[in-house]
Amino acid sequence: MKHPIKLEYYLAALIVITLLNTFLGEKFSSTTLVSILIAITVTYKGFIVIDHFMELKGANKNLRFLMRLYFVIFPSLIIVSAFY
Amino acid sequence: MNSHPIKNSLGIFPKSWSEEHAGRIPGNIPIWVGILSELTEFGIFFAAYFIAKFYYPDTFTQGPQSLHTSLGVTNTIVLLSSSYFMAKAMSFIRVNNKIKCERYLWLALSCGVLYLIIKTWEFHWNTLQGFSANTNEFFTVYYYMTFNHFIHVGWASCAILWVIFRLRRGAYSSTEHSGLEALAVYWHMIDLMWILIFPLLYVLR
Repeated sequence: MKHPIKLEYYLAALIVITLLNTFLGEKFSSTTLVSILIAITVTYKGFIVIDHFMELKGANKNLRFLMRLYFVIFPSLIIVSAFY
Repeated sequence: MNSHPIKNSLGIFPKSWSEEHAGRIPGNIPIWVGILSELTEFGIFFAAYFIAKFYYPDTFTQGPQSLHTSLGVTNTIVLLSSSYFMAKAMSFIRVNNKIKCERYLWLALSCGVLYLIIKTWEFHWNTLQGFSANTNEFFTVYYYMTFNHFIHVGWASCAILWVIFRLRRGAYSSTEHSGLEALAVYWHMIDLMWILIFPLLYVLR
């Protein structure tokens, strides 16, 4: 299985999202909207690594489900914690 | 991709969980038992974070502002890059290009070592600022999570060295590389944990 450009594209996306999250955290005091945005992007980053770096997309569906579930549960808690 | 579709499945799981029905297991079953155990361990850390944040919201608002954010961002980029290098190493062993596979493993290892150096520097910087695990609840959780993650990166880096040694001895090929793949999925799991740790400790206020 070859990854000609795809992996580079995903790496760039992950780095851009990381920098964007940091910018949001630094420039805006933790509003609920910022927390929701960060939680969504964390889920997205997790899904990219699980599917394309870990290569669970197209592999064992139970393992993929468990890994993706993890990246739904904990980012959801970020959103919940925004309402503390 | 491994050529043998069905491996020994320990015989303790329902048939619907088998590789035949659910799909191929990257690496091997023991590494996934390890990964799921580690996910549980980190899950407890994350639960501890959210419980502590509930009881001490002000401490957790101030905490991230005391940390060296640039070092946290740099380490995130370093770990993401290491995952990329590991995925590239996997893609090259599948076409039996062992030279490029080894090159990317060295790059992944370099990222692991760089992460450890940066993290050590960050711990030292914290000490210079007067922060320790006893400073407040935020720093207790911070050291609890990051030092544990630090140890994981440390021993996984040693595992990369072992895999490079095995690769040089001819243990892996395009048809048999389950050991290398087991390391790769473990390394990605460590990266995934940092993807969660970073916003919790450095970004969210």
